[in-house]
Amino acid sequence: MHIPDGFLDAKTAVATGALAAGGVGVALRQVRRQLPRRKIPLLGLAAAFVFAAQMLNFPVAGGTSGHLIGGVLTAVLLGPGAAVIVLASVLIVQCLLFADGGLTALGANIFNMGLIGGVGGYAIYRAVRKAFAGTRGVVMAAAFAAWCSTVAASIVCAGELALSGTVAWRVAFPAMANVHMLVGIGEALITALVVVAVARARPELLDGRAGEDAALGYGTVFVFGLLISCGLALFVAPFACSWPDGLDRVAQRLGFESRAASAPLVHSPIRDYQLPGVSSAAVATALAGLIGTVVVFALAFLLARWLVPKTSSD
Amino acid sequence: MSAVVEVKDLRYRYHDGAEALRGVSFAIAENECVGLIGPNGAGKSTLLLHLNGILPEQLEGAPTLSVFGEPVNRATLDRVRSAVGLLFQDADDQLFCPTVFDDVAFGPQQFGLNESAVAAKVRAALAQVGLDGFEKRSPHHLSRGEKRRVCLAGLLACDPRVLVLDEPTSDLDPRGKRELKALLRQIAATKIIATHDLELVVELCSRVLVLDRGVIVAEGPTVSILSNERLMLDHGLERPHILQHRHPH
Amino acid sequence: MRHDFLDRYGRLDSPVHRLPAGLKLVIALVIILTVVLLTGLTVWGFAALAGLLAVVALASRVPLGFLARRLLLLEPFVVGVAVLALLQPDGDRIFLLIVTKSTLCLFTMVLLSNTTPFAELLVALRRARLPALLITTLALMYRYLFVLVDEAERMRRARACRTFAKGRFGLWKVLGTVVGQLFVRSAERAERIYAAMCARGWK
Repeated sequence: MHIPDGFLDAKTAVATGALAAGGVGVALRQVRRQLPRRKIPLLGLAAAFVFAAQMLNFPVAGGTSGHLIGGVLTAVLLGPGAAVIVLASVLIVQCLLFADGGLTALGANIFNMGLIGGVGGYAIYRAVRKAFAGTRGVVMAAAFAAWCSTVAASIVCAGELALSGTVAWRVAFPAMANVHMLVGIGEALITALVVVAVARARPELLDGRAGEDAALGYGTVFVFGLLISCGLALFVAPFACSWPDGLDRVAQRLGFESRAASAPLVHSPIRDYQLPGVSSAAVATALAGLIGTVVVFALAFLLARWLVPKTSSD
Repeated sequence: MSAVVEVKDLRYRYHDGAEALRGVSFAIAENECVGLIGPNGAGKSTLLLHLNGILPEQLEGAPTLSVFGEPVNRATLDRVRSAVGLLFQDADDQLFCPTVFDDVAFGPQQFGLNESAVAAKVRAALAQVGLDGFEKRSPHHLSRGEKRRVCLAGLLACDPRVLVLDEPTSDLDPRGKRELKALLRQIAATKIIATHDLELVVELCSRVLVLDRGVIVAEGPTVSILSNERLMLDHGLERPHILQHRHPH
Repeated sequence: MRHDFLDRYGRLDSPVHRLPAGLKLVIALVIILTVVLLTGLTVWGFAALAGLLAVVALASRVPLGFLARRLLLLEPFVVGVAVLALLQPDGDRIFLLIVTKSTLCLFTMVLLSNTTPFAELLVALRRARLPALLITTLALMYRYLFVLVDEAERMRRARACRTFAKGRFGLWKVLGTVVGQLFVRSAERAERIYAAMCARGWK
């Protein structure tokens, strides 16, 4: 999902750059304040780890294979602030050393994978964790969060492409979301397997996180939340709000103006172009997403039960 | 003959409660080269980590360790670390900078030298280990022997008076071993070498400490200890072949 | 493997290699910004830029076949996403435009990364006031990524030899364990590196 150069226009590149810089800045502040000194080298090693892990092929079918992206995994193992720094480092090295991901798209890639994927995914992980305790809870929450974050990041990516006028939302959204709903399953599975392996080998690496997680300051949480919300508002909301033609008609009947006019940054969501069947593809994708979320949640629950024997969960 | 390093009844427990060191005492004189031998798990590496103040994690309590007459505690840590250079077993752990120059320069930089002084020290140290011109090389392109020597250069750049080495020849090929031995012979400093390489001990060390299960079970002149077949076998070692036909140091 | 991480040609001697890293980074950024932002660029403009990059490539003495292969490795991702651009009014033109721009930018970055040792780029980034913690992380990441990739490969091979995995899921479990072990080892190595840094007086 590394966006290359040339796909984003100036305003999108600048907006995502600003959001990414803000996110990395907040993460650095949080980490500097809370990470014990002996863990500083761990950031670099974790970045190398994510890179190495991303290179392993998980065979799927024929010649295709899945790969770990690692946003949620990193956040579960190191905390959200550290995860942002780690993922940003991975993306910077991939960009500068391997031309994987554009230089002007670095902001977008860091925002999508680090903030939406890492921090957003972590928020989902924490929420699910609260409801389900023990090692099984961790595995289930991590798997579900990994799926959600993969899909969410792809949707934001689609929004960025659409806002840049590169790809129409009606094409980008179904294409990206559907593909990543599948890719996300691989991500969820791999994340779960790795968490189980770490829990078995060195449980204290996971247990130690509980205390550190609780210590996240309100300031940090607020800024992260703000940045993610801005991103969603800029790149997803304008499009998500513009499909329901039906809603428009209802709004007109009730005397309200079309919603599209209320988002000044949107310059031309291509709503009027009708490819046969494409306009319904977006709605179908959204429905699939909603159903998928419920299904994946249930699957994550079952996966955790299967992978973690009853005796080892507290 | 004042002791450069003095250890009195050193004890240490791992996190899981297992005892690593159960009352270790010894003294090293200036310019001595002492070998530390023993089976795996004896606690050699753990002991060495104490000599540079890495362990125990919280430095406090009775001064069981003193270097150059000064007890090792939080206040003296800087001086201890500049006086005692510790070579780690895994060169990859110790060579953590992106280039050879950066790595050898790390120590001098931490101790506050200015840029030109640092560069001079780096050049001198690399020359001493026989790696002139390696400044811009990347660590991952170096051979194991070269990495080891860069680590050694990194220590030498700090002008240590005591060199503590953990398995310096462990993963080297015969040529690498020869080169390292020659190098160690030339370095003028007090040396403490933990190793399984008994030939190295015979060639370089005048005295030997045998560590087994956290205690020093024997100490004395190299040849007499290493020739004591019973003693060696009792502690998971064996008499080196080199001593079958050779004698006094 | 998606990445060819042997920075084999980073230390050749050529006029391009000898330029300071910071300068090359800035030039690359300027070229990329020009390509991406200038909407009025005609075919001749793109051709001129392509020609410029070709000249730089020749001057760099990096084997052209190698550069071409690096570029071809990354093209599919570009084209794959660009294809989506076809499905809109004026799609053909947008598609061609994006592919051209993206390829030119890719080529620029491929040239940059193969004529500049990463360590020097790091120095340039430090001078550009990138936060110290980020620089340290990037430096350690670069230093250890080769070590970890090798370790991962060795573990994978060792596991694959000993495991008679039942089908794909068995293999996934093995790989998941490898990744988990890799993390644990990396965390332990990080502790040892911390000790090594302290041993040399890290402030």
